[in-house]
Amino acid sequence: MIPAQFDYVAPATIDEAVSLLSQHQDEAKILAGGHSLIPAMKLRLAQPQLLIDIGRIKDLSYINEQDGQIRIGAMTTHYQLESNERLRAICPLLPECAAHIGDVQVRNKGTIGGSVAHADPAGDWPAAILALDAEMVAVGQQGERVIKAADFFVDMLTTALAPGEILREIRINAQDVGGRLGQSYMKVAQPASGFAVVGVAVNLALDAGGVCQSSRIGITGVAVKAYRASGVENALKGRVLDSQIIAAAAEHAADAVDANEDLYASADYRRHLARVYTRRAIEAASSRAH
Amino acid sequence: MAKKFVGQSIKRTEDPRLIKGLGHYVDDIKLPETLHVAFVRSMYAHARVKEVDVSEAINAPGVVAVYTGADASALIGPVPCASALPDLKVPDHRVLATDKVYFVGHPIAAVVATNAYAARDAVDLIMVDYEELTPVVDVEEAAAEGGPFIHEKFGDNIAYKLTAGEGDIDAALAGADHVIKQRIVNQRLAPIAMEPRGVLARYLPGEEELTIWSSTQIPHLLRTQLALMIGMPENKLRVITPEVGGGFGSKLNVYAEEALLGWISMRLAKPVKWIETRRENMQATIHGRGQVGYLEIGCMNDGTLAGLRYNVFADLGAYYQLLTPAIPTLTGLMLSGCYKIPAIQINVTGVFTNKVATDAYRGAGRPEATYVVERALDLVAQELSMDVVEVRRKNFPAPEEFPFHTATGLFYDSGNYEGALKKALEMSDYAKLREEQAKARAEGRIVGIGVSTYVEICALGPSQAMPAGGWESATVRIEPTGKVTIMTGASPHGQGQETSFAQIAADELGVDIKDVTVIHGDTSIVQYGIGTFGSRATAVGGTAVFIAIQKLKEKAHKIASHLLQADATNVAFGESGFSLQKAKAAVASGVEVPEPDLPVGQAPAGALPEPETDGKHVTLQDVALAAHLAKDLPPDMEPGLSVTYFFEPKNFTFPFGTHIAVVEIDRETGDIKFQRYVAVDDCGKVINPMLVDGQIQGGIVQALGQALYEEVVYDEQGQLVTGTLMDYAIPKAAMLPHFELARTETPTDVNPLGVKGVGEAGTIGATPCIVNAVVDALAPFGVRHLDMPLKPETIWKLIH
Amino acid sequence: MKIEGTHELRAARERVYKALTDPRVLQRCIPGCERLEKTGEDSYAATLRTGVGSIKGVFNGSVKLEEMRPPEHYRMVVDGKGQPGFLKGSGNLDLEEAGDGAATVIKYTGEVQVGGTIASVGQRMIQGAAKMMASQFFTALEAEAQTVEGDPPPTHGFFRTALRWFSGWLRRIFQNRSK
Repeated sequence: MIPAQFDYVAPATIDEAVSLLSQHQDEAKILAGGHSLIPAMKLRLAQPQLLIDIGRIKDLSYINEQDGQIRIGAMTTHYQLESNERLRAICPLLPECAAHIGDVQVRNKGTIGGSVAHADPAGDWPAAILALDAEMVAVGQQGERVIKAADFFVDMLTTALAPGEILREIRINAQDVGGRLGQSYMKVAQPASGFAVVGVAVNLALDAGGVCQSSRIGITGVAVKAYRASGVENALKGRVLDSQIIAAAAEHAADAVDANEDLYASADYRRHLARVYTRRAIEAASSRAH
Repeated sequence: MAKKFVGQSIKRTEDPRLIKGLGHYVDDIKLPETLHVAFVRSMYAHARVKEVDVSEAINAPGVVAVYTGADASALIGPVPCASALPDLKVPDHRVLATDKVYFVGHPIAAVVATNAYAARDAVDLIMVDYEELTPVVDVEEAAAEGGPFIHEKFGDNIAYKLTAGEGDIDAALAGADHVIKQRIVNQRLAPIAMEPRGVLARYLPGEEELTIWSSTQIPHLLRTQLALMIGMPENKLRVITPEVGGGFGSKLNVYAEEALLGWISMRLAKPVKWIETRRENMQATIHGRGQVGYLEIGCMNDGTLAGLRYNVFADLGAYYQLLTPAIPTLTGLMLSGCYKIPAIQINVTGVFTNKVATDAYRGAGRPEATYVVERALDLVAQELSMDVVEVRRKNFPAPEEFPFHTATGLFYDSGNYEGALKKALEMSDYAKLREEQAKARAEGRIVGIGVSTYVEICALGPSQAMPAGGWESATVRIEPTGKVTIMTGASPHGQGQETSFAQIAADELGVDIKDVTVIHGDTSIVQYGIGTFGSRATAVGGTAVFIAIQKLKEKAHKIASHLLQADATNVAFGESGFSLQKAKAAVASGVEVPEPDLPVGQAPAGALPEPETDGKHVTLQDVALAAHLAKDLPPDMEPGLSVTYFFEPKNFTFPFGTHIAVVEIDRETGDIKFQRYVAVDDCGKVINPMLVDGQIQGGIVQALGQALYEEVVYDEQGQLVTGTLMDYAIPKAAMLPHFELARTETPTDVNPLGVKGVGEAGTIGATPCIVNAVVDALAPFGVRHLDMPLKPETIWKLIH
Repeated sequence: MKIEGTHELRAARERVYKALTDPRVLQRCIPGCERLEKTGEDSYAATLRTGVGSIKGVFNGSVKLEEMRPPEHYRMVVDGKGQPGFLKGSGNLDLEEAGDGAATVIKYTGEVQVGGTIASVGQRMIQGAAKMMASQFFTALEAEAQTVEGDPPPTHGFFRTALRWFSGWLRRIFQNRSK
């Protein structure tokens, strides 16, 4: 498993990285942990001529709070997110999702920015990113821009990042509605790869009476890209979340979804798992909110 | 002399260096000026190779040479197959493809370059012009008449047909109250050793010596075969097997790459190295299993078995590797399981397909048989509405019926099947499990209990029954300083012989285990050996060590008696060495002194009486030094203290056991969860319980892999779809149940250690146990049988 | 592997069919098609530098159009080889009028075989990738069929990028104002 020849550069600043990327465009790839890119290179399915390692750039790895937002540097590892005590209190979906990624070695080296920018159709983060309605901060030669989660995942392995742009930060708004937060991530892992056959991230807010004020549900693994299960969200809104309401809502988890097929699961079964795991994930989230 | 080491869970002496990364695998051996080899492999399952254009590659930076089939195949002998069966069609298997490619991964050309990167880059520059041919993928379709044919000259795809068994099967089935039929598939599996294959070859033109470092289970057999293939005198060829990171049978072989690397090194007079990638490992290292069969089992109303017929299509692949055609014959041998079945017939059709060869994978033919038999017993139980345990009990031979003759022509050495079953039933509280299952079912839960009572054939084996010798060798040498050196032909690949053989030696010689070194895997140091496979290392190789020690002790005894100036009968061996016994006093009082019990070949290990001494003694080290200096030895005594012994076993051994699994199925998703896994295994005497447990656990894990996850998938075009571990699912630690392990110990007289072998037991016993549990869980849905791997989706569809 | 799908294009059927059989248009629409040279009646030699995300490969091969029945049907046969493996496929394209003739529904059904590395390591993504490329192809084709004859052809790669930038720019302005 030997990659084709490539040049390697480790810029010290993000501006330098952006400048290199815009110079080299399609010939270059950003190395941000490398747990998807390096295997693809070793199989020679990816043959970038230049790897721009953003792992040496200071201050791309952080989790902090600012202006009512949680801000996560793109080079923050899955393990850092998994083990962050503050996140467990204010946004438990992030550590819970992180804990489902790969294995310990992958979580120690793989980064949230790398994973989100790679946009694997079965990656875990996209589900959580959608459920948290996160904002992706992209930096390019023209400066920074913010891409909403809903616009970010364009297609399989394709994001709204323009050529020449680097994902710098992920921002998550503190829960925008009052009430009690309920989050959960549940997953059926493909037994070979550990990737999500179905991964469901639920982020909901209930008022004092247990009425669902808002819910956002991100589903990964089922289609060519992660998506918001808006049918489910609509069916939950304004309802007291008892098991019947939840079960009925979860039936919409794969509405109008062109589901993936692979050796492990047919499209039908994937859609079915999406419904079952959506129900289970909502139940878990809802019970945590009570 | 008490046993200090045998029977103890001594930590593996191999492990510190392996854990610290200080071990040396083939790739860790770096020789100056080493060239690196990469292979061009076929991306088609079946195609004519019209042209291989190497012109661009040969001029690429760093490339030293490129060899194609046209360059090498005529000069290197065929890749050997050691199986001889009547009317076996043997394809000419060359190290590189010549006119045709037969499977995805079939090597076409070898690129040699100054580094591994340049070699790999040049592979992409070689243009192969293929003419695609229709691939032959499905084993049953391949066996049908009419083309396409893989090897045109044979006129069909049938490699051989073989019928075996005793008893009148037609009459037995005709006379049975019930005959149950079932199609049973043992899917293709990839062995996936953690360390892929690797070869380093160095030819020294001055010395005319070729050394090959290879990750193999059989250094000596490899040397012999490579000598024949590349026309090298065997005594100028040295095979060294450094650390081997697992094999599971996949390295019990002689591969094209091993011969080719040796040959290239001779041509270029430089060291050359090739380390297999995981993709190559999936494509071009042997696969296991690959049987599609049709079972007929006849039984009487009371559950007594009448006869068993198994018509099986064995998916051999396009070419043979070392044992390819022989594996299904082992399935035939074990079709009696641990039951009295008066008539058994197996009809094997060995079939060529456009895939890599199947060969020995952990269990090698026996797991397939056990799976068939254990599924058959459950089918009988279901048909007769009997408990699965009762059906089994009904057909066990009793302990006094041993040696037990089967209708497959074997004599089982010893067994107490009821004993292991009883223990497993007690451990699992089987009666209560059934009660709980009934309760769970009433609650709408889907719970299943699986039982398998297996027997396997181990300690391979008597040379009569083996293609290339079934004995094993050992040299035991006491160095002048008293340190003990053991050289074993049973070169391990992860089993821990450095520890277990040292345990045997330390006890037998009364030395500390730290004073024993076990050397293996170097054909220039170790006398000829057979290797580690077929659960034979301890039963055959360990016995060779044991007997060599007894012979060495006989000689030492004579030297010691000479040094003590005593009659040999008055000298005894114990903790402090050889001591002069208070014999005279004993004789004077008329008490008979037993002969010092130093038998060869049948003594229970280390069970020597503690001698009473009068204080005069010589240590083993004294004796070794005396033997070495040779200044004062008995007349005509050969100097030195070293014995080599080749142990020929008189029979196989037949370990057995009972496994019980409890599973619960998620009604909504079909997902399978283990509630219990109980395994009671009987492998005879145990040298190191921790190593035995490790073997059982690892075996169960691989069985679980076959039952639930693993399957090599070729698509209709013969493309290998499960080409990486992203698609081919091997079980990970987090996917495993807790194993509750126990043992019974039924001795065998096949070898003086009383050991039977355990390397494959878990794989053999556990696969049907798990499937039986899942089928039992689904019985209320009318399920009789399911093909592996048991995917949740399949189960979900059955439930809904 | 079977692929099938339906795309509705807002363009008249004749124009769509014409675009679908024009090698210059096809070259612009087939994702990553760098070269499409006529080698005979309705057959072409092609070079594709194509892929999804960072997964890319170069394929050389041929494209043949068969069973041409304007404006409703043809069959495309593709055969390509490259370092990552090979792909072979054939598909039927059926065009139906929709929306009172202002739109066209294209139904495609095809059988694709892949081999080599992409077959053995890309199992879980091949189908998705095929769908994605089909979708890219038809989106580009729609733009082609909508252009007025004589206008310069749309440049899809640039067009998409510009659109993304433009929407991002708009959003930035909007966000800045709202602060």
